[in-house]
Amino acid sequence: MLKTRIIPCLDVIKNKVVKGINFKNIRVMGNAVEMAKYYSLSGADELCMLDINASYQNRKTFIKTVESIAKVINIPLTVGGGVSDLSDITDLLNAGADKVSINSAAVKNPKLIRQASLRHGSQCIVVAIDGKRHKNKMKVVIKGGREITKNELITWAKQVQSLGAGEILMTSMDTDGVQNGFDSNMLKKVTSSVGIPVIASGGVGSLEHFYLGYLTKSTGLLAASVFHSRKYKIKTVKKYLSSKGVPVRL
Amino acid sequence: MKKKVIGLIDGQSGNIGSINKAIKDIIKGRPYQLKIIKSHFNYTSFDKIILPGQGAYATLMSNLKKLKIIQPLKKYLKNNSSYLGICVGMQILSDWGYEDKTTRGLGIISGDIKKFRNKKLIIPHMGWNTINLNKDDTIIANSFDKKDFYFVHSYIFQNIKKSDVLAFTLYGKKFPSIVKKGNIYGVQFHPEKSHKHGLNLIKNYILKS
Repeated sequence: MLKTRIIPCLDVIKNKVVKGINFKNIRVMGNAVEMAKYYSLSGADELCMLDINASYQNRKTFIKTVESIAKVINIPLTVGGGVSDLSDITDLLNAGADKVSINSAAVKNPKLIRQASLRHGSQCIVVAIDGKRHKNKMKVVIKGGREITKNELITWAKQVQSLGAGEILMTSMDTDGVQNGFDSNMLKKVTSSVGIPVIASGGVGSLEHFYLGYLTKSTGLLAASVFHSRKYKIKTVKKYLSSKGVPVRL
Repeated sequence: MKKKVIGLIDGQSGNIGSINKAIKDIIKGRPYQLKIIKSHFNYTSFDKIILPGQGAYATLMSNLKKLKIIQPLKKYLKNNSSYLGICVGMQILSDWGYEDKTTRGLGIISGDIKKFRNKKLIIPHMGWNTINLNKDDTIIANSFDKKDFYFVHSYIFQNIKKSDVLAFTLYGKKFPSIVKKGNIYGVQFHPEKSHKHGLNLIKNYILKS
C-alpha cells in the first residue's frame, strides 16, 4: 500500500535554514546540510528545500548547498524558490535535485510547465501553488500572498496538471504560518479536481493536524516549524498517524 | 587479484549522481572498479552493468541508440551477463513500450510497458510502497520482503510471465516491482532514493550476485 509521505521543508538562505518571511525577523534555525542529513536519518520520506531569498549573490551558495545535501541524503529531494526558466531547472537537477518546484514563473508563463516536463519528464516537475480566499473565491497568489492573480485556484490546478506537472505543492496562504492546521477545505477542493499527487502545506501545529491533512486525500504532508523547533520528531508523527490507521513508512 | 568491472550507463535520462555515489561507497576498499558508460563499449569487459533511468521509455531508447549503446548492451544481455535496470532501465528490458509512442524495447523479458489502467488512481504512483516476494531469490528479493521502497512512475510491466516476477507491489492492483531472468534484474522503484533498504539492495546486487 502506498504510504502517506511526511516531508520536512527547509526555508534556506545561502546555506542556513531560516524562519520568518518578514526579513526583519529572520531567525537562523540551523545549518541546511546538517538538518537535511538529520531528517533523512530520522525517517523523513522526502525533503523539500526552498531558496527564500533567491538573489543573484545568494544563488551560487544555495546551489552548492543543494549539491552538498544531495550527497548526504538518500531520499528524494525537491528544490524550489527563485526558479524562473528552463536553465534554472536544469541547474538544480544537475546539482542533485530529484524534483524542481516552480511557482510564480509558472503563473507568469504557463508554457514553462510543458517545456520543463517534456525536457525532464513530468515526474520531476512540481508546481507550487499558493492559494488564498479573495471576495468569496479561491485565487492563486504570488509574492508570498501579496499579489492576487487573476487565476482561479481550481482552474489553475487543473491547468497545471494538463500542462504536465507531476505533482502539486499546495500552500494555503490563509493558514500558512498560523499553526492552526492545514486548510482542509481548500485542499479537498484541489485533490478532488486533479488526478496527480498533492502535497498539503501550510498550517501544521499539532499531531491531529497531520491526520486531518491525510483526510484531505493529500498524499504528502509538508511541515517546517513543528520539526525545526523539535516540537515533534518525524517518528512521533508517523507513530501517531499509524495509530489512526494511516499507512506510513515506519 | 583482478578487479571486477562495474559499468554504470549514463543514458542521459535523469541524474546519475546518487547511484554513482552509492556504488562508489559500496566498492570502496573492495576489489571492484566503476566505469561510466556513455558510448559504444566492449561488452566482454564488464562484470556488471547498472542502468538507471527516469522519464520516458521512448526517450531512453532513443538516447541509447544515439549513444550507440543499444547493440553492445543487447549482446551483453543475450549473454546472460549480470545487469541491474532501475525504473525505465528495467522497463526497456520488455518487448514494447507504450509511453508517448510505441517503441520497441530490448526484448529480454517478454511483456509490455503500459500505463496504470485504473482511472481512480492518483498518477504518477509516487512515494513509498511495499514489495512482496513472489519467488525465492537469495541475492535481492528475499532480504527485502515487505520492505518499503520509493516509487515514481505511471507505467508498469504487463503481460509478463509470472516466473519472471520476483516481487510485486499493490497499487490499485498487483504490478511487478522486481523482475528477473537469469542474471538480469530489474527494479521498478529507485533504490538510490530508498534510504537504507535501497542502499542494501544495491550492495547485495554488487557484492553477492
